[in-house]
Amino acid sequence: MRSLHQWFESFKIAAGAIKANKARGILTTLGIIIGIVAVVTTMTAANGLQNRFTESISTIGSDVLYVSRTPWVFTGRFFQFRNRKNLTMKESEKLERYLKQAKAVNPNTFTNRNVKYRSQVLENVNIIGTTEKHTMVSVAAPQYGRFIVHNDVQYKKFNCVIGWEIKDHLFKDIDPLNKKIKIGRNFYRVVGVMEKQGSAGFFGGPNFDRQIFIPITTLMKAYGSFNRPFNIVVKAPSQEAMTDFEYAVIGEMRKIRRLKPTEENDFSINKMDTLMNAYNNVMGVVVLIGLLITGISLFVGGIGVMNIMFVSVTERTREIGIRKAIGAKKSTILTQFLFESSSICLLGGLVGLILSFGVTQIINLLVMPASISIPIVFTAIVISILVGVISGIIPAYRAARLNPIEALRYE
Amino acid sequence: MSIRIENMSKVYKLGATSVEALKEVSVTVQDNEYLAIMGPSGSGKSTMMNIIGCLDTPTSGAYFLGDHDVSKMNDDQLAEIRNQKIGFVFQTFNLLPRADVFHNVELPMVYSGMSSARRKKMAEVAIEKVGLTDRMKHRPSELSGGQRQRVAIARALVNNPSIILADEPTGNLDSSTGAEIMVIFDQLNRSGNTIILVTHESDIAMHARRVIKLKDGMIESDTPNKEGIAA
Repeated sequence: MRSLHQWFESFKIAAGAIKANKARGILTTLGIIIGIVAVVTTMTAANGLQNRFTESISTIGSDVLYVSRTPWVFTGRFFQFRNRKNLTMKESEKLERYLKQAKAVNPNTFTNRNVKYRSQVLENVNIIGTTEKHTMVSVAAPQYGRFIVHNDVQYKKFNCVIGWEIKDHLFKDIDPLNKKIKIGRNFYRVVGVMEKQGSAGFFGGPNFDRQIFIPITTLMKAYGSFNRPFNIVVKAPSQEAMTDFEYAVIGEMRKIRRLKPTEENDFSINKMDTLMNAYNNVMGVVVLIGLLITGISLFVGGIGVMNIMFVSVTERTREIGIRKAIGAKKSTILTQFLFESSSICLLGGLVGLILSFGVTQIINLLVMPASISIPIVFTAIVISILVGVISGIIPAYRAARLNPIEALRYE
Repeated sequence: MSIRIENMSKVYKLGATSVEALKEVSVTVQDNEYLAIMGPSGSGKSTMMNIIGCLDTPTSGAYFLGDHDVSKMNDDQLAEIRNQKIGFVFQTFNLLPRADVFHNVELPMVYSGMSSARRKKMAEVAIEKVGLTDRMKHRPSELSGGQRQRVAIARALVNNPSIILADEPTGNLDSSTGAEIMVIFDQLNRSGNTIILVTHESDIAMHARRVIKLKDGMIESDTPNKEGIAA
């Protein structure tokens, strides 16, 4: 009960002290405001990047494995991977035959070519060779027209399905269906347009709107199959069965490749998790550095608060003397000044949060989807109170230790 | 609650030299006494007041306030004793400048942890005793010197202390206002409060029933004052 009264009293004193020195309070708070805006914006941006990345790879599907020659992410050991045999159409067909539980097995390969329609040219477009089963392993579907069908693959047809961005660039308002576009040296008939994925080239990541799908057989025939990167995409029967399924795939692949039990795998299994982990590792470091740098501004703000608290303690030496004479204990005085410094910082934190909402809106409009989440708000409030307590503790301790007789005599 | 001081000394160390402000002083003060401590500057009366007021502890000797051995207390225990047992009235009033009359008077009770309803009631009673009910919401800067000292008196007596300790209470006031303040002390003593005045003005000391004169840290004389108002 007693401490509750004193806390309330401390709060009133803090409010009074801030009100009494408005200009000083505002200037001191400004340091904290800037610090909080910087930190919150960094956290928001990190969140935005994370969302954007998750969104951009969501088309890959989390119940899908990629059998490839090399892992997507690796360090060193490059030459060991380089000397591996490439995967082939035959191996894909065998895997499909043996792997009964798989929902779908789909080979794909890709190349980069310039694409042309009349005078419109797009350079270095990602051309993906695939089969009709692509729609089973990916969530992407055609917006209009159709996807590659079995016939296209079987008879090596020069048909293509284009991504949204390709359509926008090459055709503008014209209906692209049944138009002929030139990919490399060959002409293809547009049979479909993929729906918009909306992840326009995220930090060098794949841009799923800037792709063209053609039958895999056509791609091999037109652009060659030698040493071409080749993936076999397999879809697990369910999300839960992923782990078992991965072992099954490895087992079948080893059989197909006729590996002895002592031999290492000469292929790699890739999945979205691998990519996610790699991304999280990189982003973790980037965000940490960002927070460190923005944290410096908060640190400087904290120094400002500490400075002002020292001034405040000196100015109010006599007041401290009076309070001690009529019965304030050390802890009471300590709490009073800690309350004052944390109030300043909390105020700064709240104003900083409000400003951060504005900054986030701007980021949202101009750069990427970003939003301030409840945990970020919570963290910002905790951080600002913490900065207040840390920067107030030394001045408050000095105040608490004052000798009442000397403090009362202070002019 | 009585005061018992036995062989009390206080030594201040100033660098290499040490100054003995009080030398083996022994005093006993009974309940409801009206005591004046007099002496020229440097006589040790401020030191005496600080120790009696529990703002400081003696270097040697004993100080009993009722049953409490104050000379052995730590800072927080002293703060609690000051809060419960001592009411201070200072020469320079020592009110909180940003707080109004009510809050200044209420403050000792905040530190003793009283509920705000009870604080309000008791503060109002104390303010009424010094006749400032109509000034409750004023700040010290809006009051005259005499009124400020009356606020200080209200604050001193609000926690029903054992001793009211007044250090030159009229020192910053003109003589007629000073006389008004002394009337309040006289009344408080008559209604049962122990009052200790520290002063160098003999006409102020004449209000008390007992006068102790200090000189060079020792008691020069300790005489009852027949002309004291309550005698």
